[in-house]
Amino acid sequence: MNKKIIEIEDLVKRYPMGEAEFTALKRINLTFEKGEFAGFVGPSGSGKTTILNIIGSLDTPTEGRVSVEGEDVSHLSEKASARLRKEHIGFIFQSFNLLPVYTVFENVELSLLLLKQSAAARKKAVTQALEWVGLQDMARKKPPQLSGGESQRVAIARAIVKRPNIVLADEPTANLDAENAHIIMRTMQRLNEELKTTFIFATHDEKVMQYLKRKIHLLDGYVDKDEILESNTVES
Amino acid sequence: MKLALKLAYKNLIRAGLKTWLNALALSFAFVLIIFYNGMIDGWNNEARQDAIAWEYGTGHLRNAAYDPMDPFTIQDGHGVLPEQYREHLTPILVWQGTLYPHGRMMPVLIKGIEPGQTTVKIPSGVLKNSTAGYPVLLGRKMAESAGLKEGDQVLLRWRDRNGTFDAVEVTVAGIFETNVPFVDGGQVWIALNTLRKMTGLTDEATFFIADENYTPTPVDGWTFVDQKMLLKPVTNLINAKKYGAAFMYLLLLAIGLLVIFDTQAFSIFRRQKEIGTHIAMGMTRGEVIRMFTVEGAMYSIFAIILGGIYGAPLFIYLAKNGISFPVSGDTMGIIIAPTIYSIYSTALIVKTFLLLVISATLVSLLATRKIAGMNPVEALKGKAL
Ligand SMILES: Nc1ncnc2c1ncn2[C@@H]1O[C@H](COP(=O)(O)OP(=O)(O)OP(=O)(O)O)[C@@H](O)[C@H]1O
Ligand SMILES: [Mg+2]
Repeated sequence: MNKKIIEIEDLVKRYPMGEAEFTALKRINLTFEKGEFAGFVGPSGSGKTTILNIIGSLDTPTEGRVSVEGEDVSHLSEKASARLRKEHIGFIFQSFNLLPVYTVFENVELSLLLLKQSAAARKKAVTQALEWVGLQDMARKKPPQLSGGESQRVAIARAIVKRPNIVLADEPTANLDAENAHIIMRTMQRLNEELKTTFIFATHDEKVMQYLKRKIHLLDGYVDKDEILESNTVES
Repeated sequence: MKLALKLAYKNLIRAGLKTWLNALALSFAFVLIIFYNGMIDGWNNEARQDAIAWEYGTGHLRNAAYDPMDPFTIQDGHGVLPEQYREHLTPILVWQGTLYPHGRMMPVLIKGIEPGQTTVKIPSGVLKNSTAGYPVLLGRKMAESAGLKEGDQVLLRWRDRNGTFDAVEVTVAGIFETNVPFVDGGQVWIALNTLRKMTGLTDEATFFIADENYTPTPVDGWTFVDQKMLLKPVTNLINAKKYGAAFMYLLLLAIGLLVIFDTQAFSIFRRQKEIGTHIAMGMTRGEVIRMFTVEGAMYSIFAIILGGIYGAPLFIYLAKNGISFPVSGDTMGIIIAPTIYSIYSTALIVKTFLLLVISATLVSLLATRKIAGMNPVEALKGKAL
């Protein structure tokens, strides 16, 4: 049986807009199981990034309950939500967000430094993560010397190196050409299968969508359609 | 904390030239503070040494009626110290008189000193060796203002203990060089026995200078003032100079700190995405603040290293060879040796070190405070500030 890793109940997110308020998410109910390869799709402004940030406890719900790994993210202290992210959640961003003064190795290593792992354990895990994304030869390079595709693969390695249960990827292919988009999607697909990591995307890129095993269509803050693509169901 | 140090160090080292330029700005303050204080401490030390060597010895045993600050007490402030108390004491008898060099009238203090004494550096031996009838010693400053040279004769007039005027031609048997104005200006040194005869104050003294083997014993009618008390005005004067100068280097320190503040505040603005990323990876805002604060504070460590590199040779040179001053202390009435050897104490270096590190830490903490209110989502977008 698959374990429910994320549960969203009646989630509402409102932003203050001058005098009035803007409702970005309107009563969303969803659950995710461990090992899913799912994505929020929909037009710009539909709320994809907003919901991803709430799942990642970077943002808080206005109403409703969102539980991640059994923790209610709407009521977590700053410390507890930081710990949740540190231990269980990896982020991948559209603009890579690598630290430019660190080497590839150091960028990937940072998540493990935060977890206070030993140097030997870090070296082993970073080397392996770089192998997963095919960048073992670039460990000593710095981000400005990398191509967009390579940068995003470093970001994937950074997200995955601590073996999180959940990886949240917001438009990971938006800055990449078609070839590189496929490379990184296949990389993540493989990690999903091998490590049983739950991946949740936010995207309007067709190339990403074709890999998804579940597509949640958002429209103006509603779940318009929750589509399970049978052929791709992951076993656990 | 270890992680913050590690990351901050990496951030700074990787930033390269920019880091060193900022550190350089701060290092000027560091070097100047040590340079100036080292010089003052050196001056203080020499001034104290000189004052002890020429005037104070280990302390003064004063006739209770005598107050060196009040010339009117000279008339009565003297007496005979019982024989059994005189060990390790050099008597000085002070009397007022008038010198008439080149027809001018010059009020002076006549000081009687034992020619054989070795407690203070006044070269009193000259008085013993001279063949003149009334040999006297003058400091160089006194000799200059009176227009007298060695061998010159000059009229000295005084009243004896009964108020009767008397006068003799004294001979300048020697002129000595000293940094201590209090034994020079307006003073005429003469053999103690001669002065006692001139005044009729047989066996009397105004005060005694103690040597290092003297142990103070209470005597009726006499007060012992120890070296520390005597040196107080010297120390106070020099400390006043010290505080006056603090303004100058605090200004320099402020400039250095401003550079750090600016760099860190700008850095936080520029590195919002980085901050957002750190938070997304599981750092709390407090931890990010700590990292940036340590980064700013670390500039002070780099400044100390840089300052050490170019400052140390300078300090060593000044401590060994001293620094010469074209202006002598004569004109200012304070003790200034012609060459001051700077003293760099551990306390001075540690204090300056702490001042720098603490102020740099506070300043960067101030610059990073904005992070506390940062929304990580906005920071990731680069729109948090
Ligand atoms: N801080 C905010 N203040 C006000 N409105 C906001 C804020 N953040 C997002 N919104 C609004 O909420 C809505 C959803 O935003 P969100 O970023 O989730 O959209 P998205 O689906 O990710 O769009 P895109 O595909 O362009 O990235 C948008 O209309 C946006 O303008
Ligand atoms: Mg978005």
